[in-house]
Amino acid sequence: MKTVSLQNLIPEYIKQFEAYIPSKPDDVLKDLFGCRHLFRLNNNENPLGPTAAAQAVIREFPPPRASVYPSGDAFHLRCRLAEKLGLHPDQILVGNGANEVITFVIKAFCQEGDNIITADKTFAVYEWVAEFSGFQARLVPLKDFMFDDEAMLGQIDEKTKIIFICNPNNPTGTYWNEERLRHFLDTVNGRQIVVVDEAYFEFVEEDDFPDGIRLIKEYPNLVVFRTFSKMYALAGLRIGYLAGDLEVVDIIRRTCVVYSVNVLAQEAALASVDDQEHITKTRKLVSEGRRLITRELDNLGLPVVSGQGNYMMIKLPMSDTLAYRRLMSYGVMVRTMTGFRFPNYIRLTISIRQAMEAFVEALSKILN
Amino acid sequence: MSKKTENSAYIRLFATAAFTPLAMAFVEKAAVGLKLGQTEAMSLTLATEEIFSYLCRIATSDQPVEIHCSSGGYYVRADFLFPSDDFNMRAFNLTATVSFDDEASLEEMGLLIASRAVERFYISEEKGKRLRLSLIKEKAYPETITAEIPEVKPFRDFSIRRPDSDALKLFALLVKHHYQGQIIPCSFNYPGKVADMVDGGEYQAVLAISPGGEVGGGIIWRWAGLKTMECFGPYTFNQAPDSPMSNNLLDACLGYIARTHAVGLINRFPTNDLPVKYFETLGALTIFGSREQSSSVTAYFRQMQEDAGTSVWSSPELEQFLQGEYGRLFLPRKILPVMDHGEMKAPFSVLSAEFDRSQDMVTLRAIRAGTDAYRNLSGHMSLFSRESIHNVFFEMDLGLPWQAEFTPALLKSAFKPMLVLPYAGQGDIIVFQLFRKL
Repeated sequence: MKTVSLQNLIPEYIKQFEAYIPSKPDDVLKDLFGCRHLFRLNNNENPLGPTAAAQAVIREFPPPRASVYPSGDAFHLRCRLAEKLGLHPDQILVGNGANEVITFVIKAFCQEGDNIITADKTFAVYEWVAEFSGFQARLVPLKDFMFDDEAMLGQIDEKTKIIFICNPNNPTGTYWNEERLRHFLDTVNGRQIVVVDEAYFEFVEEDDFPDGIRLIKEYPNLVVFRTFSKMYALAGLRIGYLAGDLEVVDIIRRTCVVYSVNVLAQEAALASVDDQEHITKTRKLVSEGRRLITRELDNLGLPVVSGQGNYMMIKLPMSDTLAYRRLMSYGVMVRTMTGFRFPNYIRLTISIRQAMEAFVEALSKILN
Repeated sequence: MSKKTENSAYIRLFATAAFTPLAMAFVEKAAVGLKLGQTEAMSLTLATEEIFSYLCRIATSDQPVEIHCSSGGYYVRADFLFPSDDFNMRAFNLTATVSFDDEASLEEMGLLIASRAVERFYISEEKGKRLRLSLIKEKAYPETITAEIPEVKPFRDFSIRRPDSDALKLFALLVKHHYQGQIIPCSFNYPGKVADMVDGGEYQAVLAISPGGEVGGGIIWRWAGLKTMECFGPYTFNQAPDSPMSNNLLDACLGYIARTHAVGLINRFPTNDLPVKYFETLGALTIFGSREQSSSVTAYFRQMQEDAGTSVWSSPELEQFLQGEYGRLFLPRKILPVMDHGEMKAPFSVLSAEFDRSQDMVTLRAIRAGTDAYRNLSGHMSLFSRESIHNVFFEMDLGLPWQAEFTPALLKSAFKPMLVLPYAGQGDIIVFQLFRKL
């Protein structure tokens, strides 16, 4: 057999990088951990499932249509979103989940020697995509669990192309209000692309929370990400989008892989857009769940970091990775936070009462 | 010859005796160029002569050998790479040509002689069937000079920072002043070495620094295998018992490690400052000294990532131990049995011995299984006895089923299973320790 000189073929920045290994399917996990049921409270999924209209689309999807390519650029969905958001359809790019649109933006604006700026303790995909593409990710420490605007501005140099802000931040739930975001954008003054990731936008009820898409008219360097994975519960179909100034999106579109979003995802997303009742019901569930968990954790004497979004962080008096294994043995799956550089914290997805009670019961057992 | 980076150089030549002087000259010049002292460069050159001559003797045909020299800051490393198919693999056992009754035979053994000339020596097999024979020669450093150690008062305020060379040297002096025993790595006897270890990238460190620039504590860590990091400390100097310094140091250390592909962090020599709630107790190892004394050290461990569960291969003799450990540590594992069904087996096994003479320690790893496993292990035990090594370990990779074949021979040779290191190899690694007097 011939051998391949891989070491000579691999770029240095790939040698430094390790593949992300996602969790195994439920049946395998249940077998390995010896649990009969499994509450997945690790990925911030919506336990209510997709909207009623989206469920109908999925149920009624005619199998023969699977043989036909989808709309290559999600035409109908872009038109509907544009109408709702007050944009031109060409100001929107739809991707195979928000992860894909992160890649589009980095590929569109970064070249050798460039850097991006984001926080050290936030959604890791901005950093990963930059680094495995060969660009430096400058990570600015959070301040009081929040993106530190002044420190981020201090990291900008002539090679900085993109600044990523997760608003509200995953996993801390903190957010910049409109005044703070505007001040940041004013200071950047169009010299860099500022991406505001609003994956959890629909969960936030605070009056001062900014609607990034509304600000695009004033700030053409602003690009906003949204997803159908969280509030609209279409995570399994992988669909998200970005919105920005017409000229900026035209540049990003050049790096966009067409046909990457399947037909079912496009139609389920289209059916979801107008369901305000689904949002109201989900917000109520999250609010009740957060109240329950906060009360129970207070009884256990555990500190929490809880803000916006359908998740909260809990500080444990033990290793989070050990807690993960022990909770799994009770059929409760959480996200460990060591990888987010919050050692001994876990992030919990706020879910239905039964799951929250199972979590509290299992946590009480492992702490005793 | 070509130069890959400013910190490395390599040469490719055929394994024939005529090129031995060329191999020696290359290693000597490269070592000096990589800032090794003349005396140490000569030791590495002599080791090269032994290795290269040995490869010439055992090569089944004229085959190319690559010699890579690289700097690790505080050491120079010479790697010999060659295709394993073209060499008599059995010859890579340290004991291959030894008759223990015959001193002359012992002295003829090139690999052993080479191992004596360097601080660390080991053989490993790369994917693609290449063997890598590694020699590590450290630079010579002056021992801690009797300097006046600054008095450290409890800090009211501090920040955790990556240190510069001077801060690291002061840190090493303070550690030696405030701590005693095995919890201090040997390298802390040489502050300049600690600075070079970090500068060369093999170790990393963060220190707690006051607003006035004083050093109040620190923690240092390095890779210990393909997927595991090892940390030393945290060390703190005269800080209040309720100071958050230890936690902050460990948080910073974990933050850096979280950006790597490490799956675990081990601390084998914990200080009293170690926040044990961050860790799990992995087990204990016994450290034997030269004067019959021994001490027990507890190994602490934490995973850096969520454990997705895996399967491990084990011979039936180990199953009870593994079930006990996996149950205690809540590690989701399926134990798959490795059994002898009378199939044909290779007659000769091959073991790699990694010497760490500064720690009075040798670690054996399997390169090939064979029916002579017990005899081969016994030969190695005799050799280590002659070399006055007091601590012998065997690391078995439970992700490679053929390695389980060594289990009966290990247990018969008075090795005991001590620790399981999750995901430290292709799968989990089980660490055996020898409890027979050598």
